[in-house]
Amino acid sequence: MIWALAYVPVLAGLAIWAIGGTRARLATLGAGAAAATLGLALFSGDRTGRFVWSELLVLQAALPPLAHAAALLVPAILLPITLYAASHEDGRGLPRLIGLMLVFTGGMELVIVAADLVTLLIGWEIVGACSWALIGHKWRSQAPGLSASFAFVLTRAGDLGLFIALMATVTATGSASYGALGTLDGWPLSLAAYGLLLAAVSKAGQVPFAPWLFRAMDGPTSVSALLHSATMVAAGAYILARLHPQLSAAPGFGPAAMVIGLATAILGGVVALRQTHAKKLLAGSTSAQMGLMIATIGAGYPGVAVLHLIVHAASKGALFCAAGVAHRVTDTFDLRRMGLARALPVTTALTVIAALSLAAVPPLSGGWSKEEVVKALEHAGPIWAAAIIVAGGLSAAYATRFAIAAFGPGEDRDSTVKRGELAGLALLSGAVLALSALWWPPVHDVVAARIGADLPEGSRLGLLASLAAVAFGILAGLRAARSDTEAPAMEWLGLPALYEHGLIRPFHALAIMAARADDRVIDLIPRGAATVAIFLADGLSRADDDTLDGLAPGAAGAAMSTGGQIWRGAVGTAVRATSGLAALGAGLGERLSDLIPNGSGRIAGMAGADLRRLQTGLAHHYYSILVAGFALAVGLLIFGG
Amino acid sequence: MLTFAILIPLLASLVLAFVPLGEVASRWTATGAAALSLVALVIVWAGGGDGFRAVAEVPWIPTLGIAWRVGVDGMSLALALMSALIFVAATAWPLKLHDARAYYAWMAFLAGVSIGLFVTLDLIVFYVFFDLSLVGMYFLIGRWGHGDAQHAALKFFVYTLAGSLLILIGIIVLALNMPTLTFDMRAMIDSPPLAAAGMVPGLVFLAFVIGFGIKTPVFPVHTWLPPAHVNAPGPASAILAGVLLKMGTYGLIRIPLQMMPDTFARWALPLAIVGVISILWGSIVAFAQDNLKRRIAYTSVNHMGYTVLGIAVAGSALGSETARQLAMTGAVVEMIAHGLITGALFLIAGAVWQRTGDYHLPNFGGLAGPAPRLTGAATLAAFASLGLPGLAGFVAELHIFLGAFGVYPWLAAIGLLGILITAALFLRMLRQMFFGDLPKERAGFTDLDRTETALLAGVLILVVLIGIWPTWLLSLIDAASLIPTPGAGG
Repeated sequence: MIWALAYVPVLAGLAIWAIGGTRARLATLGAGAAAATLGLALFSGDRTGRFVWSELLVLQAALPPLAHAAALLVPAILLPITLYAASHEDGRGLPRLIGLMLVFTGGMELVIVAADLVTLLIGWEIVGACSWALIGHKWRSQAPGLSASFAFVLTRAGDLGLFIALMATVTATGSASYGALGTLDGWPLSLAAYGLLLAAVSKAGQVPFAPWLFRAMDGPTSVSALLHSATMVAAGAYILARLHPQLSAAPGFGPAAMVIGLATAILGGVVALRQTHAKKLLAGSTSAQMGLMIATIGAGYPGVAVLHLIVHAASKGALFCAAGVAHRVTDTFDLRRMGLARALPVTTALTVIAALSLAAVPPLSGGWSKEEVVKALEHAGPIWAAAIIVAGGLSAAYATRFAIAAFGPGEDRDSTVKRGELAGLALLSGAVLALSALWWPPVHDVVAARIGADLPEGSRLGLLASLAAVAFGILAGLRAARSDTEAPAMEWLGLPALYEHGLIRPFHALAIMAARADDRVIDLIPRGAATVAIFLADGLSRADDDTLDGLAPGAAGAAMSTGGQIWRGAVGTAVRATSGLAALGAGLGERLSDLIPNGSGRIAGMAGADLRRLQTGLAHHYYSILVAGFALAVGLLIFGG
Repeated sequence: MLTFAILIPLLASLVLAFVPLGEVASRWTATGAAALSLVALVIVWAGGGDGFRAVAEVPWIPTLGIAWRVGVDGMSLALALMSALIFVAATAWPLKLHDARAYYAWMAFLAGVSIGLFVTLDLIVFYVFFDLSLVGMYFLIGRWGHGDAQHAALKFFVYTLAGSLLILIGIIVLALNMPTLTFDMRAMIDSPPLAAAGMVPGLVFLAFVIGFGIKTPVFPVHTWLPPAHVNAPGPASAILAGVLLKMGTYGLIRIPLQMMPDTFARWALPLAIVGVISILWGSIVAFAQDNLKRRIAYTSVNHMGYTVLGIAVAGSALGSETARQLAMTGAVVEMIAHGLITGALFLIAGAVWQRTGDYHLPNFGGLAGPAPRLTGAATLAAFASLGLPGLAGFVAELHIFLGAFGVYPWLAAIGLLGILITAALFLRMLRQMFFGDLPKERAGFTDLDRTETALLAGVLILVVLIGIWPTWLLSLIDAASLIPTPGAGG
């Protein structure tokens, strides 16, 4: 049952991809599969599963309350986005898109239900591979393919941390289960904790991995709406929350998570505020919001982080959908050329709800969860609290800027929003509104108790400072939306350029150098052996001609007298061996010293003439190796016998 | 039964050599022979049992202790099954050929000797099959290859033959050191003949490592591999990578690890380092290749590096028993997985060559449009090769790394970089081949036909099956029984 949560969407997705059909049919099938997954998630609470995967590794699944909430969230977000995608996206390749989104959801559910690190790793990387296929969905153009590879490789670099955590856990305990993870101490615990932190921050688009999220914006908008709100990036924050009890004992773990999270929250906020590309603004914002969650986990409140994750998923999903609509209508993602309030009033209203929630304005749901986040960090210390208040102000600023620039006043265009788009957007913004009930104490107490979250107490000063920062942020956002800002010269504060010049290009150069060395230096081993062998063969044949022939008359008499064929054979062998060795000794130095200029000559210019010279008389070269091999054989036999 | 599995393809090869059959009939004769071998092996598998099973022995040269001995344990049965399957797929693979009958005769011959190598229990017979496999492959590359095929074939032949001579010496020394002269593998595994210390065991071990290392191949004796692959016909490449390379690592486990465990344990660390260097070097060099087949060929160096690392860890006599068992499991699964995955990749490369006569990656692009089935198969195989969970390569690499970390944590951590680089290089390959604009000269590129699709699907389904539910394969391999108890040797 619990495994079905993972494989049902995968199988459904593959089936939908294979069947295909009209937009309406894809919408029905896709939404039906999402609803079925949601139903499965509803009835899977508190179940566990085991699957004997190999003799030594057993895959385990479980759905404790925190995980159950996440397991419900994913299909709940998928459903409106499927409706949206089926009407919004290009008709060509649509079955593949809807199908892969479902496959992706299956991988994400596997991450959520995992109760051991192997299962987690399997889901984790399947999610990464699906995101590669989804980002590269429009494969006919160049950019998405490049971006998909970039995103996959960069997140996989973080996955190595998960490998390390898994290896440390299995080595120390012999098991990979989360239970075993909890029994670690000393360096295995540190390795496991920091390995998982690395994996999580790379997936969650934190500094310094954030640029992949920007590149991922080359994928279709529906993909961004699903992957960069409730799933994929959320997996990073989720897994830290899920494993917080096991990992928090590692020395320095909490502060490390808070530093990374808050740094990303602030830097990502700045990046988002300066962006003029609608989706990239939202991508920067996603990094920043994930940073808030990771910082909250670091402060010791994983439940609060998951609540913020749920609330954020609804509003961010809605905003991505809105950005997609704006792009379809205006044919650009440039925020300075939108302004759709009069053209699309209903869409505008729905967007404003989501944007205000992202800006953390009371009484919307985002306001509530963000205040809980602030309170959680107040418990960690005043400096952390100050940082999060600044980050909160920045989110208010970019959320306002997005809403006003994209859906502010502008010319009246003759444009409509499609029914599916509107349905998706309305469901997501409706969820934002519905979640606002969390402000009401009976509701949030019940929810917190249900998922096992600890709600922190905060000070009045903190609340006031935070609200003031939000108000200030909104004003700044309004101003930024009206002024005609230039697009920033460097994306993500120059991080992508750093990757390009500091990592990718040097690696390309290294690989090309290694390939050359492989052809020209390593290959000298057989060629050198061949040279030596030829030499040896020449020496032997010379010895055969000169020495043995000369010896023969004298030896003949001796052989006659003792009558020993054997003796003669032995002498022959000895003579051959000796003279071979002598010749070798005489010529080896010369040959070796020849090899160096020859070798470097080859490196300098592997010209065709050289190649031809090598290839003529090849048989001769190579058969001589046999002789060398046999000589070695005899030598070893003497030792071994 | 195992003797049948060897003799059927060899007989088919004789028939093909002397009976004037047409091209289609030849193809089906050779494919049918490989399929019958596969069936025979499946029957052995179905028979079950522990340790060496389906054993048969016919005296040959009793004074020297040489006999026709066949029998399989889990590892060799799994490898023989995989080899037979790859032979079926490679032989049935549609190909335009000159002298088709001779080609299929060599294919059948190679199938017989390759399966023979895995199922024999006599070291001399093992050695004979080892060398005969070179002969078969030499002719397949030299006669039906393209480009500078003769040069490549000769380099392959002589390089590996030189290695095999070292193996022969090692085998003879081992046999001479038995209480009574015998070449029976079981006897040598039960009572390893050489002591750990001393010059002789060290040299014999070195001879085996170099000999098998060339065949595997590991850094730095791998340079015969790329030219051999590039110039070989696609199906021959599939066999070379899928079956012949495994002979090196199989030999490494069967002979040095099982027959001289104490010496192996002394030298395990250097061997593990060689494995890690191969992992990194193979992947870095592969990344820079613009030739489709060279790129895949170098990833073989990378993957066999994982295998060698796993074997070294398994024989290290260090760490926990669990760690060594994990590593051994991983090493054997890597052999099977690499055989299937890289076999599929080379068949795909062969399909591309058949249609375009070109391997230069920058000349490609946009093939996802005209050839969705080819794209799907290549994507699946590439992701399997880069170790994506849910596919066979991951099972192998996960076990190897888990085991290696328990014994040589630093080497495992460094080796992990290999899976990152392979990801980069395979995604790059997929993008260059299938994404972007379709170049003009590729217009009219046709998708995989029905036979090709069916054959690739057969191989790739196994890759998925092993990836999702590996238990059946792991219990067949039974890695724990392969690892000798440390200190048991004389």
